[in-house]
Amino acid sequence: MTKSLNIFLLIISLSLHGNSYSQADFDLYPFDTQEKEDLFYSLLNELRCPKCQSSNLAGSNSPISNDLKREVFKLVQSGKTAEEVKTYLVQRYGNFIIYNPPIEPRTYVLWFGPFLLFCIALSAVFLLRRNLSK
Amino acid sequence: MKKTLDLIPLIIFLALILVLFTFLSGREDQLESVLVDKSFPEFSLTSLSDESSFKSKKDISELPALVNVWATWCIACRVEHPFLMKLKENSTIKIYGLNYKDDRVKALDLLERDGNPFEFSIYDFEGRLAIDLGVYGAPETFFIDKEGIVRERHVGVVDEKVWQEKFAQYLDD
Repeated sequence: MTKSLNIFLLIISLSLHGNSYSQADFDLYPFDTQEKEDLFYSLLNELRCPKCQSSNLAGSNSPISNDLKREVFKLVQSGKTAEEVKTYLVQRYGNFIIYNPPIEPRTYVLWFGPFLLFCIALSAVFLLRRNLSK
Repeated sequence: MKKTLDLIPLIIFLALILVLFTFLSGREDQLESVLVDKSFPEFSLTSLSDESSFKSKKDISELPALVNVWATWCIACRVEHPFLMKLKENSTIKIYGLNYKDDRVKALDLLERDGNPFEFSIYDFEGRLAIDLGVYGAPETFFIDKEGIVRERHVGVVDEKVWQEKFAQYLDD
């Protein structure tokens, strides 16, 4: 039991890190501080590749992703914060470019839909149970 | 009471279908066009035909105009090319090219062979202006009105149908 749990946890942790950058990328983006480098790689994981649509920038090697990585590198290296970099890209590519869309009327279904469905399911179970026990 | 309760799953199911249908049936497979109704971005890049000559926004001078993102590696651009040639001959609108991540010599050869519909082409090897335009592929076409504001963006080939649906309206007045 513990063994299978361990394997399960291992799989989870591997899949959580599966999207991070590969070692080979290191020399391509020479940062002057470790903080900037960390910010850069965390941004690459959060930004979506416009061409491949279901991959982030870190996981994509398409020409446009490389252009965007270079752009993010320049912005981060010049001291921009995560928010400023995201704003810069959203102004050009729209909310699509970030994997974490803002809460606005257009995305209400996305953000609140699951909770709504959960509430509906819960009340359905509740109603049915009450009905059965009668 | 029991009867109405039995109907609840069906009603929820129908509501779900309705909601998903309305939200997913829109042709949202394309990126939103953030640039529409905004000013065309500033740039400074060389011209395709002369690497020592720099072009900027003020060189896109004859407005309204189209800016067409193209490249020799882009097959759909070849499909689109005859329509752009037709526009050049039959319409008053000027077309400016944005040669995107391409080889200068190959691009010039292609224009020589198949005809050049562009007033000039901007050479954007690094995709610098393309990022400011939110371009994610080729071909893409932008319509800029008399005031230099982007009014329309089309991703993909512009043909007669797309022209009538999306662009022709801006030329009527």
